[in-house]
Amino acid sequence: MPDPVVHVAELTKIYKVPEREAGLRAAAKALVRRKTRDVRAVEGISFDVGAGEVVGFLGPNGAGKTTSLKMLAGLLYPTGGNALVLGYVPSRRERDYLRQMTMVMGNRNQLQWDIPALDSFELNRAIYRLQRADYLAMRDELIELLDVGDLVRKPVRNLSLGERMKVEIVGALLHRPQVLFLDEPTIGLDVTMQKRIRTFIAEYNKRHGATVLLTSHYMADVEALCKRVIVIHHGRILFDGALASLADEFAAYKTIGVVLQNGGAPLDAYGEVVHHEGDRVSIRVPKADTSRVAARLLADHEVVDLTIEEPPIEDVIESVFAQPAAV
Amino acid sequence: MNALRVSWLFLKIGVINELQYRVNFFVQLLQSLIQVGTALIMLALVYSHTTELNGWSESELLSLIGVQVLLGGFIHTFIQPNMQRLMEDVQQGTLDYALTKPEDSQLLISVRMVRMWQVVEIVSGLILLFVGLTGVQQSIGVADAVAFGIALLVGGVLVYCFWLVITTGAFWIVRMENVLELFEGIYQTGRWPVTVYPGWLRYSVTFLVPIGFAVTVPAEALTSRLQWQTLVFAVAFGIAVFAFTRWFWHYGLRHYSGASA
Amino acid sequence: MSVDVARLPEAGRWRSLYDFYVTTMRTAITSQLQYRVTNYFYMLGMIAEPVVYLVVWTTIADQEGGAVNGITSGEFAAYYIVWTLVRNMNIVFGAPFWEWRIREGRLAGDLLKPMYILHYDLAYFAGWKFVVVAMWLPIAFGLSAVFHPTLSPSALEIVVFIFAIWGAYLVRSMFQGTVGMLNFWTTRGAAVFDLYMAVEMLLSGRLVPLQLMPGWVQTLANFLPFKWTFGFPIESLVGNLSTQQLLLGLCAQALWIVIGLLLFKVTWSAAIKRFVSVGN
Repeated sequence: MPDPVVHVAELTKIYKVPEREAGLRAAAKALVRRKTRDVRAVEGISFDVGAGEVVGFLGPNGAGKTTSLKMLAGLLYPTGGNALVLGYVPSRRERDYLRQMTMVMGNRNQLQWDIPALDSFELNRAIYRLQRADYLAMRDELIELLDVGDLVRKPVRNLSLGERMKVEIVGALLHRPQVLFLDEPTIGLDVTMQKRIRTFIAEYNKRHGATVLLTSHYMADVEALCKRVIVIHHGRILFDGALASLADEFAAYKTIGVVLQNGGAPLDAYGEVVHHEGDRVSIRVPKADTSRVAARLLADHEVVDLTIEEPPIEDVIESVFAQPAAV
Repeated sequence: MNALRVSWLFLKIGVINELQYRVNFFVQLLQSLIQVGTALIMLALVYSHTTELNGWSESELLSLIGVQVLLGGFIHTFIQPNMQRLMEDVQQGTLDYALTKPEDSQLLISVRMVRMWQVVEIVSGLILLFVGLTGVQQSIGVADAVAFGIALLVGGVLVYCFWLVITTGAFWIVRMENVLELFEGIYQTGRWPVTVYPGWLRYSVTFLVPIGFAVTVPAEALTSRLQWQTLVFAVAFGIAVFAFTRWFWHYGLRHYSGASA
Repeated sequence: MSVDVARLPEAGRWRSLYDFYVTTMRTAITSQLQYRVTNYFYMLGMIAEPVVYLVVWTTIADQEGGAVNGITSGEFAAYYIVWTLVRNMNIVFGAPFWEWRIREGRLAGDLLKPMYILHYDLAYFAGWKFVVVAMWLPIAFGLSAVFHPTLSPSALEIVVFIFAIWGAYLVRSMFQGTVGMLNFWTTRGAAVFDLYMAVEMLLSGRLVPLQLMPGWVQTLANFLPFKWTFGFPIESLVGNLSTQQLLLGLCAQALWIVIGLLLFKVTWSAAIKRFVSVGN
């Protein structure tokens, strides 16, 4: 197997947060020696990502997703463990590394506010030391892919949120990075725009074989883009694997849907009835009991139709995050 | 009377809020010391080359600087924070919250904020004023003191009106960040008696931008230069400017509601 | 599927840097031209300061028979009018801008890119100067019409002045930038900045021409960076400096640029260390 593009081992980040105390004396004392409290944002996570993979980071607010991405992008220095991206140590922020990666933060804008994006692109050309021909080719390709030909000529402040994000992405990819860190790239956008950006990321990944690590609150993003997900909670990895097997691992229940010949017979004895409409009934049963309950249903009633469903991925994630921090 | 109660409540909330940040007191103290120190050095430099400036002795000018610092402290404590907040509100479209409250809009936007620690500046102004006055030859009568009080009040009103008129401009020109620098710059003209300025500038800082007026008139009262006609005129001028400001505020507000609808 | 993963070749270093400066300066000019009103507010507020000084010293000069310490009213006028240009050149990416950069989370974006931070600030403000100086010209004419400056510079003085104002820009950029980075360690730096500005005010020739200061202050000023950002550029044009003094002044500026750059670099690497360990 070739070297992984991203290699993370026991990566840890502990923030020191100043503690405020009430009172003048405490305030004066704080000037000299600050009292701090440790916040363990990321605790010993390890994973490898291969070339061309698209990996989704899932986790509730404050789980440590953004902190992890920032450590990989060289914006945060790890407290412990180590990370290697493309063979570079991100926190050294070497030119060669910066030229091969990019980070897009959905809630920040990096383009100049008052001028057309096209001028900001020109600036990026100089910053990344691109040759004009390469730059023009890449710029036009991205503009076409995202269909922003008109938008790049308007001052950025006159663009809508979604338009700005598209233009922002063009600016971030002009140097054709091989590693993309995308932190909530679709946050606050409407559904059509989310879809558009999703399609683009998939296309870029395909064309340039780039490795993509992304966080998102929208499951649709992850389902459409990532074969593999890493679930982080309280700074630790709870799950790392195929999206499809996430439900297997974490769903405690399955839903049995039956259509009965004789209509509304009470089925509470079989499990929790979550839905009952006419002759259609949905029952939630513990995963282990699924086949036994189904067999009993078939034996006891005249069943027209029976289905066994995994719970929706959102529900699985929700149940994962409901777990308290492991102390 | 409701107006007074509302103002009092806002003041109380503001003070409680500021009490959380007591280190700011020391920061403010240091800043005031630096400000006063620079002013004193400039004063010393000027009077090392002359004995009087346009008829003002060193002590008299010190009292004038005292008045300027005092009034500046008042502005920084009560007026400027409100006006900055107003500008931000217009920019970010959050002014509607204030406008939907059942209270006079001008009153509400004028009393929402208070920067308590700037009071240090008021105190240092008072100290300069008293130190200056002890060096002044003539004694100060009750009439002078009363005239000083009235003139200072008028000065405060004038500065408030000036600020509000300028800030109301934010309804038309949204980006006004640098208006603060503009005001701080012009306010420095108040550190010297208006009479030193050449004619055109004197009229500007008296009527157009009433800074010189607001500082010099109270200082004249204390140094027994003030003629009662000037004081009467000042009061009338203050009332007229206030009336204009109120009209202008409502005019701007109509424009604002019209534009954002 | 054709996947192209080859790295893009690099363009020349100096060529790229030149492009960066030209583009940034153009950007600065376009965006600042959009804010003429707010720029004028700033400039008018700033002009008030020298006008006050000028009026005070002219008044004294007139009272004392035409001159103070040998400086006539016309020379005061020349000093403070040139002052306004030098002050405009001296607006740099200082403490308030660093505070903004940190507060608004701008730094993350800059850190992701392979460009030294100082270039952004130097280039942007250098471009801004063109707007500022264009807006300053009418003000300068107006002030000259009112205050009648005595000004008759030689060709050499004009050349030295042009170099000196850019030298002043660089010196002040480095020092103000260094002071501005204190914002990484404290959110209550205001008093420190005020103190720094007060010292600069007194020792730079900003408040009064240094000639009016006591002798020991003048000597002290020679050995500090402040004078080389205000007093020296002004006097190179309006004063009676000898050729030797003019050239020595430029050398002093060069020295302070180097010292300032070293300070900036040391502080910046410490600031980055702090930034990447605490986040933002």
